[in-house]
Amino acid sequence: MTALLEVNHVSKQFGNDSKALSDVNFTVNEGEFVSIIGPSGAGKSTLLRCINRMIDATGGEITFDNMNVMNLKKKELKMVRTRIGMIFQHYNLVNRLSVIENTLHGILGKKSTIAGVLGLYNQAEREQAVRILSMLGLGEHIYKRADQLSGGQKQRVGIARALIQNPRMLLCDEPIASLDPNSAKTIMDHLRTISSQMGITVIVNLHQVDVALKYSDKIIGINQGQVVFNGSSKDITKEDIQRIYGSEAEDLIFDIGGIHAS
Amino acid sequence: MEANEQVVTGEQLLNSKSTKRIKIKTLTKSTIVIRITMFFLVLLTIIAFFNFDYKELDIGEAMLATFANMKAMFLEPHFKHFTFTHALHQVFVTLGLAFLTTLFGAIIAVFLGLLAAENLTSKRVSAVIKGAVAFIRAVPTVLWVLIFAVAAGLGSVAAVIGMTFHSVSYLVKAYSESFEELDKGVIEALQASGANFWQIIFQAVIPSSLTYMISWTFLRFEINFAVAIAMGAAAGAGGIGFDMFMASNFYLDIREIGTITFFILAVAILLEVFATKFKKKLKVNG
Ligand SMILES: Nc1ncnc2c1ncn2[C@@H]1O[C@H](COP(=O)(O)OP(=O)(O)OP(=O)(O)O)[C@@H](O)[C@H]1O
Ligand SMILES: [Mg+2]
Repeated sequence: MTALLEVNHVSKQFGNDSKALSDVNFTVNEGEFVSIIGPSGAGKSTLLRCINRMIDATGGEITFDNMNVMNLKKKELKMVRTRIGMIFQHYNLVNRLSVIENTLHGILGKKSTIAGVLGLYNQAEREQAVRILSMLGLGEHIYKRADQLSGGQKQRVGIARALIQNPRMLLCDEPIASLDPNSAKTIMDHLRTISSQMGITVIVNLHQVDVALKYSDKIIGINQGQVVFNGSSKDITKEDIQRIYGSEAEDLIFDIGGIHAS
Repeated sequence: MEANEQVVTGEQLLNSKSTKRIKIKTLTKSTIVIRITMFFLVLLTIIAFFNFDYKELDIGEAMLATFANMKAMFLEPHFKHFTFTHALHQVFVTLGLAFLTTLFGAIIAVFLGLLAAENLTSKRVSAVIKGAVAFIRAVPTVLWVLIFAVAAGLGSVAAVIGMTFHSVSYLVKAYSESFEELDKGVIEALQASGANFWQIIFQAVIPSSLTYMISWTFLRFEINFAVAIAMGAAAGAGGIGFDMFMASNFYLDIREIGTITFFILAVAILLEVFATKFKKKLKVNG
């Protein structure tokens, strides 16, 4: 297995505040499923956005597919972004447009400005969109407006929009935080399939430790901007969880015990 | 304010055996102030009528004369100095002026509106444009037409420039506010997939704001129609407004003014009906 993403000594400071990230190091392999866990404000979202430069890190080095992301020019950065899909807690769809239109937004980055502005997609692109939507179980909702969907369906459109990019990697910022347990399971199952069958690397920010343990190959635990755990989900111990979430994690520890037992 | 409200529980009201009616409004400071103000306004109005300088005017006679004029204007309208087709033609000239200035204004306002939306550009650019536009809007349209008339001379050119100018300032505010309604997460999502500025504008920002933009543009068109009538009279921009000016100030023909008023009223009603229908359709489909 080769490393697809390398994060070396990355730090980020917003203004004069204390550091949101300090000296973060980890590598992610091709096709791996990685969960980033940590308490609120630990810097999970910041870390994810540093990877595709939605936020510029203040120090360190990020290598994606043997390219140094940190000093790319505007055009090259766009190129890299077309190969990294992103999924959000609040789906971030254009509510007034249809499911298929929202899906096709994923390939805007590969189109010329004028074709993108006018929304000119060719037959092959449309077929690809329909294929992905059917795969995600949205075959009947192709022409529905995005705001007429349930949360779980919206998130699947979000995944479709990322998949049509034909990405090497997906970045998911709390994809199931606004969903009920059933929809959350559907979404996590899809992400797992995308990683294991399509070979796409998936990095997920999560608040649910049990979900993270169940689905991930690797867990990265962050507390106050520092990586405090980095290893296989099988190797994680009560002490690690306590270190990630601080001393108030007594209740969680019980959960972990249950999960490891089952 | 709320601290001053008398606290009466429902139980107290029901238990008190007195025949007092249950009041729906309680007396708060604000209602008292409002009532006192209203009382003084009514009082002042009545006093004023007794203190007017009526000269040799008999108020009853004057009112009768006004009614006679109104009756002549609206119940006996006629054509004398122009024909029906001429009036129709002039109405279309006025509509054309309103349409042209709204169209010019809308096109320019879309681009300035994008620059003025805080979520699309920087806070500073947004503040500068919004400030400039607020200044332009504060000066009435008629004044702008007269200002441009200094350079372009009184006439249709000054009217078009002045009205466009004011339409731009009005629509920039409306458009930029509807652009700002768009959640910044949507913009982030498209940026993260490599889409560029113009693609995001046309694929996310404008589709999300289209119904608002059309509503505001229609409203401005209605305003511009009214202004265009006034401009025909005040700035010599032609159209039905100029005929009205001639009828009232030159021929002193109140019956003809009635005719013109009916023409304008008909157009205004048609516009309103059309706008309402169109908006309904947009709400269903859009
Ligand atoms: N745009 C910003 N400006 C200033 N500070 C910021 C900004 N974004 C994040 N921060 C700060 O950086 C720190 C990390 O924030 P981040 O959003 O990455 O946390 P998180 O782990 O994603 O939390 P949550 O689980 O609540 O989403 C926080 O202290 C936050 O206040
Ligand atoms: Mg977050």
